[in-house]
Amino acid sequence: MSITIQNLNKQFGNFTALNNINLEVNSGELLALLGPSGCGKTSLLRIIGGLDVQNSGKIFFHGKDVEHRDARERNVGFVFQHYALFRHMTVFENVAFGLRVKPKKERHIETEIKRRVHELLQLVQLDWLADRYPTQLSGGQRQRIALARALAVEPQILLLDEPFGALDTKVRKELRRWLRRLHDELHVTSVFVTHDQEEALEVADRVVVMNKGNVEQVGSPDDVYAHPASPFVYQFIGNVNLFHSRTHALWTQQQGDAVAYVRPHDIDISLIPQQSSLPVVVKQVRAIGSVVRLEAAIGQDGETVEIELSRERFNITPVAVGDEVFIRPRQIKVFEA
Amino acid sequence: MAQFKAHSVLPGFNLALGFTLLYLSLIVLIPLSSLFFKTATLGWGGFWEVTTGERVLASLRVTFFASFAAAVLNAIFGLVVAWVLVRYTFPGKRLVDALVDLPFALPTAVAGITLAMLYAPNGWIGHYFAEHDIKIAYTPLGIVVALTFIGLPFVVRTVQPVLADVEAEIEEAAASLGASRWDVFRRVIFPSIYPALLTGFALAFARSIGEYGSVIFIAGNMPFISEIAPLLIVSKLEQYDYAGATAIALLMLIISFILLLAINGLQWWSNRREIR
Repeated sequence: MSITIQNLNKQFGNFTALNNINLEVNSGELLALLGPSGCGKTSLLRIIGGLDVQNSGKIFFHGKDVEHRDARERNVGFVFQHYALFRHMTVFENVAFGLRVKPKKERHIETEIKRRVHELLQLVQLDWLADRYPTQLSGGQRQRIALARALAVEPQILLLDEPFGALDTKVRKELRRWLRRLHDELHVTSVFVTHDQEEALEVADRVVVMNKGNVEQVGSPDDVYAHPASPFVYQFIGNVNLFHSRTHALWTQQQGDAVAYVRPHDIDISLIPQQSSLPVVVKQVRAIGSVVRLEAAIGQDGETVEIELSRERFNITPVAVGDEVFIRPRQIKVFEA
Repeated sequence: MAQFKAHSVLPGFNLALGFTLLYLSLIVLIPLSSLFFKTATLGWGGFWEVTTGERVLASLRVTFFASFAAAVLNAIFGLVVAWVLVRYTFPGKRLVDALVDLPFALPTAVAGITLAMLYAPNGWIGHYFAEHDIKIAYTPLGIVVALTFIGLPFVVRTVQPVLADVEAEIEEAAASLGASRWDVFRRVIFPSIYPALLTGFALAFARSIGEYGSVIFIAGNMPFISEIAPLLIVSKLEQYDYAGATAIALLMLIISFILLLAINGLQWWSNRREIR
């Protein structure tokens, strides 16, 4: 089921959480809303789910206006950052909840509920925990149960609010791959909110980058990373070095005020000066796994540049703290300041 | 005791336990045991004679039934008050919140006199009921009114923080799964606050059983009808029948203890189902 969002606005007092948002979510895709905290991504998700109400604008599910349908009528599965499981119910009862509160006519018989719940628990690979209580589970297990609970009512749309935000790094990585596989199996239209760019780029079909209530860019993960549409996106996704036209006119190649954006891994170093290269002094050398990260200072004022080299590249040109080297960008993006 | 100590990282276990036992002995156990010793001077026969007296049994019935009724009323309406105080914001909310504690602070005799005046057949509230031939003051109904007044803060103050702790997200999750408002309350909120509600009920109940000051002014104190057990104890004391007074007190103590034990058992049982 597709979602269409038209001219959506949301204010909290004087604060504008969402500023005229227009967005199309295709049927069956996994879309990530990415942005720093306070950018409005969670507000947008909650409004889609019917948990909050917009000040103006419209939302359509598959072409139908859902303004007069509240959360319980939208047939949307919602997964919360802090799981929001029912503590006094077993895992089984948590997953069965959506089936038990259906109106009498639509309610399944007990054996059917049992079958469905066990099917869902198998889907999230936690069938063996059916009789436990949520507090006896780990964070990752709880979130999988929360997902099974949301899927029990066969939602047309799945909304996930920072689903892995409360988990540690390793579990997070496992779970987001698992979520991707699950989505490939189920193909339910899903929107998930995250502030972690790595998570968004790895899991989503398309990424929506948001900032201060505005959509900055919509595109595939590759697109957003390789061709950022604005300085904000450039800075938010991945590390970046800034070179101002006043001091480094050579690189920006513009007369006016402009800023050049260069990723740390797009900088090349050499020991001898080359055309349009900048002399820098190495201040720090750190080997982190497969990459070597250098911090260098430009000229007298000591503005720092971050440089990332592969280990092989570093071994060809080994440098030490205090060395003078020359840097040159392989790729550069200039935005007017 | 040594093995308990060995596993604890907190220092001062012996000192703390010793102090606790001493304190409890001084404040609770020694006074209560003196109750036993005083009663024992009656012997079994004397104890039996005092406690099975018609008037004593009637007063115990009045005390426990009125207390139970008041505690049930408080559980229901205290929950409503706590709900309103937690869920809604309205002008004067702080004031209402403070009002809840008033029954704690007010001298019980003042409460009793005020309530008696209000609910008397010619009182502000009482005369509306009197029109329908319902008498509140100077009947067992009046006792329930006084005990409800006394017990309200117990329920509100135990339920309020627990209710505030029920996360909004849990309700949102239930709503997005299609649950109606009634289902959300019945299946999600109530089970979470039920242990606290039971505690509040038990506290209000226990407080009501021992209540004296406010009740005697509104009860009318007619033997067999509206005479409460604590009043009977006081009147025995006034006749210098100390052993008789302690005998009734001891019986009340035993019944209260059994009831509170039962409530605690219920709570333990419901907590066990929800292992934290």
